[in-house]
Amino acid sequence: MFKSHERFHSANGKRLVLIVDDEFVNRELLRGALQADYELLFAENGQQALDLMREHADALSLVLLDLLMPVMNGFDVLKQAKLDPAISHMPIIVITSDQDAEIESLTLGASDFIPKPYPQPGVMQARVLKTIELTEDRQIISSTERDALTGLYNREYFYRYAEQYDLHHKGSNMDAIVVDINHFHMINERFGTARGDEVLRRIGTALREEVADVEGMVCRREADIFLVYCLHGLDYGKFLKNTTAKVSGGGAGETHVWLRMGVYENVDKELDVVRRFDRAKIAADTVQGSFTTQIGMYDDALHKQELFQEQLIEDFDAAIREHQFQVYYQPKFDIIPDIPVLASAEALVRWNHPTLGMVSPGVFIPLFEKNGLIQGLDTYVWRETASRIRNWLDRFGFAVPVSVNVSRIDMYDPHLVETLLEILAENDLSPHDMNLEVTESAYTQDSEQIITTVNRLRRLGFRIEMDDFGTGYSSLNMISTLPIDALKMDMQFIRTAFNDGGDTKMLEVIIDIAEHLSIPVIAEGVETHEQMLALRDMGCDYVQGYYFSRPVPADEYEKFVIERKEAGTPDLGNVAHPSDFEKHPFGDITSALSSGFESIFYVDTDSDHYVEFSSQGSRDDLQIETSGTNFFGDALRRALGPVYEEDRSRIELSLNKSTLMAQVKGSSPFSMTYRILEAGVLVFYSIEVARARTHDDHHIIVGISNVDAQVAEAEALKRRQERSITYARIAQALAADYLNIYCINAENDHFVEFSPHGSHEGLGVERRGSDFFGFVRESASATAHPDDLAMLLEELTKENVLAKLSREATFNLSYRRMRQGGPTDVRLKATLLEGESGGFIVIGVSEAEGAST
Amino acid sequence: MTLDDLRAYGADVELGLSRCMGSEELYLMLVGTIPGEEKFAMLETSIAEGNLDTAFEAAHALKGILANLALTPLHEPVYQITEFLRARTRMDYSSLLAEIFSARDRLSALL
Repeated sequence: MFKSHERFHSANGKRLVLIVDDEFVNRELLRGALQADYELLFAENGQQALDLMREHADALSLVLLDLLMPVMNGFDVLKQAKLDPAISHMPIIVITSDQDAEIESLTLGASDFIPKPYPQPGVMQARVLKTIELTEDRQIISSTERDALTGLYNREYFYRYAEQYDLHHKGSNMDAIVVDINHFHMINERFGTARGDEVLRRIGTALREEVADVEGMVCRREADIFLVYCLHGLDYGKFLKNTTAKVSGGGAGETHVWLRMGVYENVDKELDVVRRFDRAKIAADTVQGSFTTQIGMYDDALHKQELFQEQLIEDFDAAIREHQFQVYYQPKFDIIPDIPVLASAEALVRWNHPTLGMVSPGVFIPLFEKNGLIQGLDTYVWRETASRIRNWLDRFGFAVPVSVNVSRIDMYDPHLVETLLEILAENDLSPHDMNLEVTESAYTQDSEQIITTVNRLRRLGFRIEMDDFGTGYSSLNMISTLPIDALKMDMQFIRTAFNDGGDTKMLEVIIDIAEHLSIPVIAEGVETHEQMLALRDMGCDYVQGYYFSRPVPADEYEKFVIERKEAGTPDLGNVAHPSDFEKHPFGDITSALSSGFESIFYVDTDSDHYVEFSSQGSRDDLQIETSGTNFFGDALRRALGPVYEEDRSRIELSLNKSTLMAQVKGSSPFSMTYRILEAGVLVFYSIEVARARTHDDHHIIVGISNVDAQVAEAEALKRRQERSITYARIAQALAADYLNIYCINAENDHFVEFSPHGSHEGLGVERRGSDFFGFVRESASATAHPDDLAMLLEELTKENVLAKLSREATFNLSYRRMRQGGPTDVRLKATLLEGESGGFIVIGVSEAEGAST
Repeated sequence: MTLDDLRAYGADVELGLSRCMGSEELYLMLVGTIPGEEKFAMLETSIAEGNLDTAFEAAHALKGILANLALTPLHEPVYQITEFLRARTRMDYSSLLAEIFSARDRLSALL
């Protein structure tokens, strides 16, 4: 309980003092002596005194306590105050005429004495003030020396005390121990931080008790990490077991905690104290996530590893300076076309160390992530990559984007955006030349901050790929709100899926999620042709892996770029970015096609030469249809089609070259609608014209779209999205063998019945209807066992189901269904899902386990 | 009752006054509560009943007050009886009690 000086004062600026004496005369004498300097409270017995102390626990500066009183005497007040953490910090001066009582009072925690008869008021005042000031000073020191939550030393003092201890115990063998909790954040998440705090307090107390015999001192370094410095000689297993037992049981509820510890025994006292605990922490980390071993010892192997890592850290600066780090490139291929085409690449760093040779990134990247050096390395890679892209553009007039890794720590750098833009500017590149890969776990660990940064990057035109997707435990709901442009499936999924007896279910679910989010999926670690084909069948868009190429140095990778350039197909899909007006007109064409144009013309207005593109279904599959030399003559007319006669003159007037060029002078596209009579029905079309580039008056893009079809398409898309979310959720939420699954719109009772036969790809729509609960009553009457029918009809009302779901999240019902062979036990399970267009009730009906007649 | 009356009575008026921050009014007010103090009767009754615990508590409380007010003629016999009672001495307390009551009555007479 730490108070600032201010809080010792009452409202009128005086400190508050409690006077406890049963005698009127004494109270009045003390009042006379103290009232000028203090705000006073009075109690006539011990019980009243304790009540007032608790009531004013934060405000009382001092208690003056008589010992012999009715109801409760002063000794009992001292004892109880000592036991109550809320008031134990309060200084108490005992007033007594009895010298023997002084000793007992002292041991009970009294701060000082005032004898009876009272000394001169000046003396009394001085002693009161001195006691108050001493206490306040001590509490201020203590508040900086102690961890407020556990009352343990904070780390600075802990290290200092450990040094002090060593100074006076030069011959003692000491152990440095780190204790922490596996998945502590889960305790906070599941039970709330109050419970989490209670667990931490208990650990603190338990540790202190357990190391008392070995002169141990304990501190909380941060969060759930505790440090112990003690004489060598603990039985580590027993120590951990006892501590766990003390923390897990009793008043904090049955919070089971799984502790782990790292021990650096018989520490080297030449080593800085902090470093000793670093070693203990390294040892603790070796058992992280292990459920068989809880104790990690700092041994020779770890020591060698530490020395190795130290060398890497020491060599880092020179490595950057001397360009020992090399950027390798691994191509990513678009596998949707029959012949996969290079879409982009990932920049990967390699370290060619002058004495150690090639150091694996698996070794130095986690190390640099831990100590923050990764930031410098990332910047280095960005810079190298950007200058390489510039080099390709200069030499080939062509390049595909390269993805670079952005570590979690970079996302917290307030200068991240400026650094990236600066590097691009140095090389005269724009954000779409360099995609950014952000690991999924970064999103889940501090999503708000990350999302803010990512949004900013995206607004600037960067494409964000979520790396290692599937390892970071994003929830489906969370994923759908994240700002990302592509999902990169973690390599592990590919490996597992294509192992002997592997299962591709997980891949399919991830691809479904991506489809639902309308973003492409990139598969990493693809090694064979079969894997590539299987992934293509599942709907995966891009593939990276040894099948196409391992990561290779820039000059080797170049051949892919040259091939790609010679293939001549415009660079689309992964490269294209809607805001990319400056460099790639094709990007706009692609995005235009994806927004539903039937045909697109790229027109050179100086010569009237034009190229016509059309899309065959997929947005990535852009084809050159025709080209010609007189756009404003026959091509435009042909493109418009047989315009309905009422619209003809208006269209012809607007679309002559000079009018049109005047219309597109501004930056916003020009558009107008017209009608065509198709099979006796008037169909709406739209023509849009825009400049191909912001500062280019010589090229325009003209697009023609069927508005009616677009509206229909938009609706179909929305339905597809809703279905895919339903599939993914059904697959996750109802993991069981269902006879029927119903998806009911909670608002209007419209429903869809799915039959889950075969793969979920084939999760077929059996039936649609508009009144689910009516349908249920009807079909129950036909199929339910007569004895269960009344119960079913009563339970299966919309009101009842929704009421139960709002209370309990799931709704379960068992009943018997009549089939040819007789009654079958079935179970009905319902859950509530929030979809984009409102709430859904999903109901699954399954055969009960061990079903019999 | 005046300070001079109390001086004549034998009280250490200067000491008593100083404990009252020199306030004559407070001092006289507090001294005025003494003759009516119930603990005198409590002391006498509990001794008569042989209840020396209660008698000690009463004497001890009186001793403290009287010492603080420096009412020496009354404080001295109360101090003596307190020490006997602290040891729970079984003895004849009548002469000490008589001395106490006589001193109290002389104080009452000053009111």
